[in-house]
Amino acid sequence: MSDWNWGVLIALSGGILAALLSGIGSAIGVGKAGDAAAGAVTEDPSLFGKVLILQLLPGTQGIYGLLVAFLTLTQIGIMGGSSDFSLVKGLMYFVSCLPMAFVGLWSALRQSKVSISSIALVTKRPDQSGKAIIFPAMVETYAILALLISILCITGVSGLNV
Amino acid sequence: MAILPMKRIHIYALLEDRKQILELLQQFGTVQVEDDLQEDEFFSKKDLTDEKLKLDRDITMVSEALAVLNDYAPEEKSMFDSLKGKQELSFADFEELSAKYHEIFKTASNIKNLDRQIAESTAAMYKLQLQIDTISPWGRLDIPLQFQGTNSTAALIGTLPRELSHEDILIQLADLVPEVEGLHLDIISADHQQTCIFVLCSKKQESLVEAALRSIGFARPAVASGDKAPAIQKAEWEEEYENHRKAINESKTAIFSFTDSRGELQFLSDCLSMRMERLETSEHLLESKRIIVISGYILEREAEALTSALYNKFLLYMELSDPSENEDFPILLQNSKFSEPVEGVLKSFSLPGKGEIDPTSIFAFFYYILFGLMFSDAGYGLLMAIVCGICLRKFPKMENNMQKTLRMFFFCGLSTLFWGAVFGSWFGNAVLVISTTFFNNPVSLDPLWFEPTQDPMRMLVFSMGVGVVHLFAGLAANIKQSAKNKQYMAVLYDAGFWYMLIGGLIVLALSSEKFIEILNLNFIIPENIGKTAGIIAAIGAAGIVLTAGRESRNWFKRILKGLYGLYNVSGYLSDILSYSRLLALGLATGAIATVINEMAAMGGTSIGGVILFVIVFIAGHAVNIGINLLGAYVHTNRLTFVEFFGKFYEGGGSEFMPLGINTKYYKIKEELKS
Repeated sequence: MSDWNWGVLIALSGGILAALLSGIGSAIGVGKAGDAAAGAVTEDPSLFGKVLILQLLPGTQGIYGLLVAFLTLTQIGIMGGSSDFSLVKGLMYFVSCLPMAFVGLWSALRQSKVSISSIALVTKRPDQSGKAIIFPAMVETYAILALLISILCITGVSGLNV
Repeated sequence: MAILPMKRIHIYALLEDRKQILELLQQFGTVQVEDDLQEDEFFSKKDLTDEKLKLDRDITMVSEALAVLNDYAPEEKSMFDSLKGKQELSFADFEELSAKYHEIFKTASNIKNLDRQIAESTAAMYKLQLQIDTISPWGRLDIPLQFQGTNSTAALIGTLPRELSHEDILIQLADLVPEVEGLHLDIISADHQQTCIFVLCSKKQESLVEAALRSIGFARPAVASGDKAPAIQKAEWEEEYENHRKAINESKTAIFSFTDSRGELQFLSDCLSMRMERLETSEHLLESKRIIVISGYILEREAEALTSALYNKFLLYMELSDPSENEDFPILLQNSKFSEPVEGVLKSFSLPGKGEIDPTSIFAFFYYILFGLMFSDAGYGLLMAIVCGICLRKFPKMENNMQKTLRMFFFCGLSTLFWGAVFGSWFGNAVLVISTTFFNNPVSLDPLWFEPTQDPMRMLVFSMGVGVVHLFAGLAANIKQSAKNKQYMAVLYDAGFWYMLIGGLIVLALSSEKFIEILNLNFIIPENIGKTAGIIAAIGAAGIVLTAGRESRNWFKRILKGLYGLYNVSGYLSDILSYSRLLALGLATGAIATVINEMAAMGGTSIGGVILFVIVFIAGHAVNIGINLLGAYVHTNRLTFVEFFGKFYEGGGSEFMPLGINTKYYKIKEELKS
């Protein structure tokens, strides 16, 4: 098997890993927060809109993971274009995806815990929903930073001549 | 624009006017009655718990009657009802309905009674159905179920488990009690669950036979038919059942006939809740034998109108005064049409506390810009602005809060449209994909500036630049606030030095070649300007070290605190980096939109392909709008609350909640006030 094939495979696994782990994290996170949200709505159906936002917050990591995977796919020629690059470059793509993969997974899990607490807050004090949204959004900052560094790395790597 | 000024108001009036005065205050809706008066030997607060309980019962009754009415005769509702706002009620209608008060109340209790009858009949029907089901298998028996026998015979009527034949039973009995003779057995009915039997034997052997039967599972029937045969009893029950069914239908029709009274009931419900509000306010008043005292806050601009109205109608004395300096008066905001919509966002954080300015007009502008940068698709923005615009136009009477929210999203939509056009995203790359796939003639809408996906570094720098401007605006607001509180030195200490330090550092960085290279910028600030900036930054830093701990008298402590204050520069760094989410969220919208477009175009140009395209395009973009709208909203709030408000704003004020007409169904027109 020639060299470039391996490069594409490794780069692809990086992108897939980002989508996979972030997606898993978000699915678990949104699921747990959904349990809490359903409980809150049983108490007071008018809270639906407020707790829905809180439930969805841990869901964004999955989307960031998808974004990183998609960017990788377009760069390595899976979605068309050339996929003629070295093993080293493939490895570079792989590590570029890692921040999103890991931070995406962990931050979604942690964020869901904060979301659940915030849902409890909204159940008791519906007027404080503005503040309740900010707490989980704080956790998300790190997912965004990871997304940022992954994007910068991927676009940066594509310009390198190795 | 501003926090509206308030006045303290004290009203001293005659006890006999209490009701009318409170009604007038409620109609004006400009006074918030406070519970801050002290009781003494002459004046005391009235305990109204009993009245409140009674009123509460009435309110529950009416709302239950409305709920019953909605159950049996649902109100026709459309999706847009929540946008239409409350129905308006003219003064004449109000008077007319008020006159019918007792009549409406009777309607409500009638509906409640009908509902109770339905519930009772339903329960009775359930019980009858059970009895009918149990007695049905006995239909063939022509004597009462409780028939005991004659003088010399004993009858045993009951059931055996499982389906048994005549022969089965006789064999089992012969086995168990061979001595019994002359026994008559009739099987009334049999199914796979039970066999209903009638056994006749001589009276002497009754106990023997019964014991034997019981040992194979004999049980007396669970229902009684009195002195009638089961079939007759069943017919009677069925008739009773039918009567209940008819009664229920009649009650339902009767409830249905009250459909036209729904409006009146809603009016009554509103009336009662208005009365409840007055009652709750009454508890805060001081009363003597003849006099009442009301204390509260009034909007300054409304004070005059209320004063003249009160003096015209009642014999009373009232005092207006300015709230004292360290008094926490309730907050009501007033802003321009442009910034007013984000008041709700401010409220969800906290209203301005003591000595704070109303930041609405400052952050509104940035709010729209940041939202647009994160949502960043011209197509989505246009769609959002059009939908909100049409709703606003079509339903001018919608609830105030709803209207503000829609107006906020309208402006956010315009901003999104602008930034989407700047970065060349119209439903992602929809134009390019459609023109390539279906017309074989690639056309692309060029961005007005640049495409972030092609040059993310540039977008990152731009995002942070926006961040610096936003943070500096926060510092400017800090200056405004300090100036308002006449703390002129704080202007320099808390804002001026930071401007010098952060601004100086940025200029210094921009004069370094290495930094320019990393950021991929195409300009550089000359070295000597960079040096000057460095000196300014150093002065700023020194100023912060010297003044950040100024409340400490001990110089050693003061410098330590100052150094800690300077450490806050790392806070500014993380604040600026935090704006990189503008890039991340902006890219997310565009990239997902692109994925959707490419997936949609996979079907090719056949008819099936076109249908697939339309479905995937609509569904995909709808989902993308939902997700990114949420993201943009949450993170715009975050940037506002944490990064921007962090520079000057804490909040803690309480909202102005005047005694007013806070109804659920009707809006009573202004003319009532006159």
